[in-house]
Amino acid sequence: MDIRKRRYALVIDSRKCINCKACVVACKAENGVPTGNFRNWINADRQGEYPKLRIDFTPEQCHHCEHPSCVRVCPTGASWQRKDGIVLVYEDDCIGCRYCMLACPYDARYFHEESGTVHKCTLCNHRVDKGEVPACVETCPSKVRVFGDLEDPAGRLHELLATRRHIVKEPQTGNGPQLYYLL
Amino acid sequence: MHEFNWGLLIVVYLFLGGLSAGLFFAAGLANYLEVDGQPAYPRIARMGALLAPWPVALGSALLILDLGNWYRFYKLFTHFRWESPMSIGSWLLTLFTLIAFAYAFAWLPEEWRMKLFSKVPATWKQVHRLNVDLSAHRKTLAMIGFPFSIGVGIYTGVLLGAVSARPFWNTNLVAQMFLFSALSSGAAALLLAMVLDKRNPIETHETKFLITLDIVFISLELFIILPYLIHGQLSVLAVKQALWLILGGPYTVLFWVFFMGLGLLVPLAIEVYELAPSLLKGRTFHGSRNLALAASSLVLVGGFLLRYIFVYAGQLSSFHKMGMLH
Repeated sequence: MDIRKRRYALVIDSRKCINCKACVVACKAENGVPTGNFRNWINADRQGEYPKLRIDFTPEQCHHCEHPSCVRVCPTGASWQRKDGIVLVYEDDCIGCRYCMLACPYDARYFHEESGTVHKCTLCNHRVDKGEVPACVETCPSKVRVFGDLEDPAGRLHELLATRRHIVKEPQTGNGPQLYYLL
Repeated sequence: MHEFNWGLLIVVYLFLGGLSAGLFFAAGLANYLEVDGQPAYPRIARMGALLAPWPVALGSALLILDLGNWYRFYKLFTHFRWESPMSIGSWLLTLFTLIAFAYAFAWLPEEWRMKLFSKVPATWKQVHRLNVDLSAHRKTLAMIGFPFSIGVGIYTGVLLGAVSARPFWNTNLVAQMFLFSALSSGAAALLLAMVLDKRNPIETHETKFLITLDIVFISLELFIILPYLIHGQLSVLAVKQALWLILGGPYTVLFWVFFMGLGLLVPLAIEVYELAPSLLKGRTFHGSRNLALAASSLVLVGGFLLRYIFVYAGQLSSFHKMGMLH
């Protein structure tokens, strides 16, 4: 058995993003996300005035934080984090109090009306555990998203984060977000 | 626009939980006060004891109904997670409710108790064993209950204050603000109940005691709210932007006119107006029934509004959306 430590994360080269939303659709299809809810989305930030203007597209989803505040506040332990960093909701223990939704600084969770529980991005753990990449990563036509293991020194994430300048969103929340945006 | 994950049921629960904490505290305090070796306010102690458990019991029921899966609420008690304010709060709330009911039982007049147990079938022997006179243990029960009532009063604030993602809540002042508001609501509710009880008209010294208590609690509440506003203005951008919600934003009128004005300063002014002549000039305290009614009702409205504003405005505040709100 492979007992090497893993830490899954996403690196996002948002300058390549063309706002086609294929990732959003792929996620919805893969995970059966209800109409009106999203596990991932694309922010469009406009700057400037015509004719001098620009627009930045930044894909976003659960940041699978190092210190996830959603996991901390959960009263039943239904929100939990795998050793490889993936933050999940164990639905059988979720009472639907929605405290985790308030605790998430990125508003990455939604309330699933049908089950009365909270759902979120699973980083497609069902695919990852089979050695595949998340659906959003696989579908992206301009290769914005790179999925990988931060603990793998020979991996693609290591190379990108070592050679490219990058940021994380709202680090001041103390959550230690693990979506890395290349500059 | 942002949707609200916590709504009116949570607001009502936070209010009712705090109200019970305040009722218990005021009643327990009244139970300890004596004049010349005689209980000074036995009727306040009884009224508060008998009222205290009901709001929190109703509030907890609403809390359970608000869950996505209400029938899974028992899972709150099959897990203990000390890092989660809600987990600690669930235990605190349950223990406090049990103690408040036991305390109310200890204050139940003998004939009421007999009447209550006469309705229980005689074959239910285990239940009839509970038909005991606890009146000798009132002080002990009050002492056990004090920390729990304070705990529940604080907890309703900690529940919000511990959420680091919401700058409007995430300050160390919200817990005390909610506590003093809860204690003030409790004193006001007692005053209101005593004034409305026409069979046993409230006596002047009782009005005076409750008004004095409420002035103390409202003043403490003011001492928390003002630093909350000032310190927030001097804080980092996210907190400053969050405060905009009540300083120009959508909750400004509700906060300043209805909460600060009608719910806090007006009742405080009424109570000070009532108490000042006896306090400063040694005149006899009279206590107008209508003014007591007005002040106590307004305090309760204010207590409710404080929770309403905090629950809703807090959910709008965040680290990344505030720029767009402006």
